[in-house]
Amino acid sequence: MKQVIVSFFIVVLGVFVSASSQAGTTEVALKPIKVDRSLDSLRRGAQVVFDTCMRCHSLRYITYRDLLDMGLSKDEVDALRGDRGMGEYLQTTMPPAAAKFHFGMLPPDLSLMAKARKNGPSYIYTLLTSYEEMSNGKIDNPVFPGIRMPDILNVTVETAPEERAVVEQKARDVVAFLEWAADPRAQERRELGAYVLAYLVILTALLYWRKRKIWSRLDDA
Amino acid sequence: MAGRIIDWIDQRFPLTKFIKHELTEYPTPRNLSYWWNFGSLAGIVLVIQIVSGIFLAMHYKPDALMAFDSVEHIMRNVNYGWLIRYMHSTGASAFFIVIYIHMARTLFYGSYRAPRELMWWTGQVLLLMLMATAFMGYLLPWGQMSYWGAQVITSLFGATPFIGDDVVRWLRGDFVVGDATLTRFFALHYLFPFLIVGMVVIHLVALHMVKSSNPSGINLADKDNIPFHPYYTIKDLFGFGVFFIVFAYFVFYSPNTFIEADNYEPANPLKTPPHIVPEWYFLPFYAILRAIPDLLGGVVAMGVSVVIFALMPFLDRSKIPGGAKYRPIYRIMFALFVIDILVLSYVGLKPPSGTLVIVGQVATFVYFALFTLLPFISRWEERWLRKKGLPPEVEELIRQEEEEAAKRGRRA
Amino acid sequence: MSEYDSDSNNPESPERREFLGKVTGVVAGTGIVAASWPFISSMNPSTDVLSKATTEADISDIAPGQVHTVEWQGKPVFILHRTDQQIDKMRQSEGGKDPTADQKRVLEPNWLVVVGICTHLGCVPNRVDDGWLCPCHGSVYDNSGRILRGPAPRNLHVPPYQFTGENRLLIGQADPQRQRCERVDPDAAGDTFCVSTNPNGKEV
Repeated sequence: MKQVIVSFFIVVLGVFVSASSQAGTTEVALKPIKVDRSLDSLRRGAQVVFDTCMRCHSLRYITYRDLLDMGLSKDEVDALRGDRGMGEYLQTTMPPAAAKFHFGMLPPDLSLMAKARKNGPSYIYTLLTSYEEMSNGKIDNPVFPGIRMPDILNVTVETAPEERAVVEQKARDVVAFLEWAADPRAQERRELGAYVLAYLVILTALLYWRKRKIWSRLDDA
Repeated sequence: MAGRIIDWIDQRFPLTKFIKHELTEYPTPRNLSYWWNFGSLAGIVLVIQIVSGIFLAMHYKPDALMAFDSVEHIMRNVNYGWLIRYMHSTGASAFFIVIYIHMARTLFYGSYRAPRELMWWTGQVLLLMLMATAFMGYLLPWGQMSYWGAQVITSLFGATPFIGDDVVRWLRGDFVVGDATLTRFFALHYLFPFLIVGMVVIHLVALHMVKSSNPSGINLADKDNIPFHPYYTIKDLFGFGVFFIVFAYFVFYSPNTFIEADNYEPANPLKTPPHIVPEWYFLPFYAILRAIPDLLGGVVAMGVSVVIFALMPFLDRSKIPGGAKYRPIYRIMFALFVIDILVLSYVGLKPPSGTLVIVGQVATFVYFALFTLLPFISRWEERWLRKKGLPPEVEELIRQEEEEAAKRGRRA
Repeated sequence: MSEYDSDSNNPESPERREFLGKVTGVVAGTGIVAASWPFISSMNPSTDVLSKATTEADISDIAPGQVHTVEWQGKPVFILHRTDQQIDKMRQSEGGKDPTADQKRVLEPNWLVVVGICTHLGCVPNRVDDGWLCPCHGSVYDNSGRILRGPAPRNLHVPPYQFTGENRLLIGQADPQRQRCERVDPDAAGDTFCVSTNPNGKEV
């Protein structure tokens, strides 16, 4: 009976997990991505974001000092920031008036984008690499039909396999950087978590042993 | 030395007497199962929420223009801010899981029956206070889901006849959810947990008078009790250990499971998210709200669905004690109820469409049917079981119950 | 009740049970102490506040004889690019009420860096020809920031600072080889003041 109840709840949990992961607005199947969290990947991603994304997008919760914490050297950060202070946030070069004029809206801030969408990293990767030319000659994106953001990585143009590989690598690197930007303390969290869980398992085992010892006194009576 | 200090205190304050009587030597049934751990677990989660909440409040800014930024400030700049924040958000979900299991235990084993009605009702009040606290707390990050969830739920009060609009405006302090709403929700969210502590004390005072029930249904008073310490202190501590392992897993490895993605977008009063979802612990009641097409009807149905639990001591007419142990029909009803809650949660999670609407209405009907039919089914079940012949221990239990009830009746 | 073996090899013996209890208690206690650390630490200044502990200043655009005022930890700091005449004049005396050699108050003779808060009651002095004059009660400081006349008791405080690269000053962090810094009493303006030392760590 116990097994029936336990397996029942596991099935139920599965139903809810899959239900909530489809609660998003897009019907397109997202390309799953395993984020490469290495420093090289983050460095490359930072470069793409600076060169490409920040033409329109800001990252208001990331300062140049945070890039130091991420692992970039002082020289690398100085190269990226130029005259701007260490405490300044990553601001787009596009004036808000120009953004409103070209796009009708301010491009969204990217600091939290990897957490602000269901399966954020997959969403961003799929979005960046899914631009396609429609039958009417216009460029659109099935992940976000009617999107006002242009095909920034030139997915529709760079179709040769080697070009494609470069584009996909760029997209992967961008995703890695944005995942870091959304939760810069994630690495620290995971590392600390390993110690905390190990400690808790040991402590709980001790507590269980002690509980059995104490309760065995009742059998002696 | 410590002994002499304690003696000095004991002459002026019943310290040792209190600790012995209410804690260390407190008589507890020896056969409590692990389902009885969830009361103390709820207590430890309350402590976690209060401690993490106070330290968050040192950095949080309850202002519409600063709230979202202050949460990111906590996550990125405050030392271990990310840890305290994730503890608090995970703790809220943990609180509801623990409480729902605690309630399920009480329903299954009939621990709401005489003489424990006041425990059940103080528990009911605690549930309402917890729901209010959680609802107000969810507005504080000022994300899209925070804002629109609050907008939807506060508008429900507009269903009040005649004064509906005034009530909504009074609640919000504005025509829409705004800065005024945020600041007062913060003030009340900080206050309520301490009111909850007070109510928990009352809940425990009631417990210490009627004592714990137990899985067998037998009234063990004076018969087979063991001192709370060391048996249940260590068992509760072990329970805490298991709880903390699961809790720590979510805090460190899956902290965003319980945070809606939309809430990482700052609140925008001009743009409603395509799919408004309350936190998972409100889903069944949300589904009931949506199942009734009429606004006032839906609000009333939702309200009743939360407080109807209070009627259990009156709805359950069976004289057979011990909850579901000797009552196969009651057990089926309990299982049906659990399944129904899960169905309702699923309905509440998904956007309302076609078949799902029908499913939600059927599930709502089943929900209320289970409660309203209980008086009749429980009496019928008792007659049926008596006709079949009750096991002698059950007859003995019933006799004891009637004795106890008579004693209480004479005293009244 | 059965008799318990007092032999500690017996898992039921009181000593063995006590030991397990003690171990569990120590492990649990350590955990509780460790768990309290994040909460205590969260009350320390956050990283964005700490980053304001130092301020970088570009001094390339300060002409000789000119003063720039920059903000450091919420306080004004005067950066004076001293001319040779000014340096010579300052070397000729030890100042007024709080005599100190000019060499002890600067890292490089042609740059004076002092906290611009009058040591009397905290007003910000105004720049005059050969020093500063505090408008509140008339304290007068020379081009070494030393108190000459007026009610202020101490010279303008020299903050911890160092030169970083061409024409850049980092205020808030001393080079321990070049400066020795002490905390003043909390009532005085400018928490820390520093005295220049030569590379041997001895006072100049």
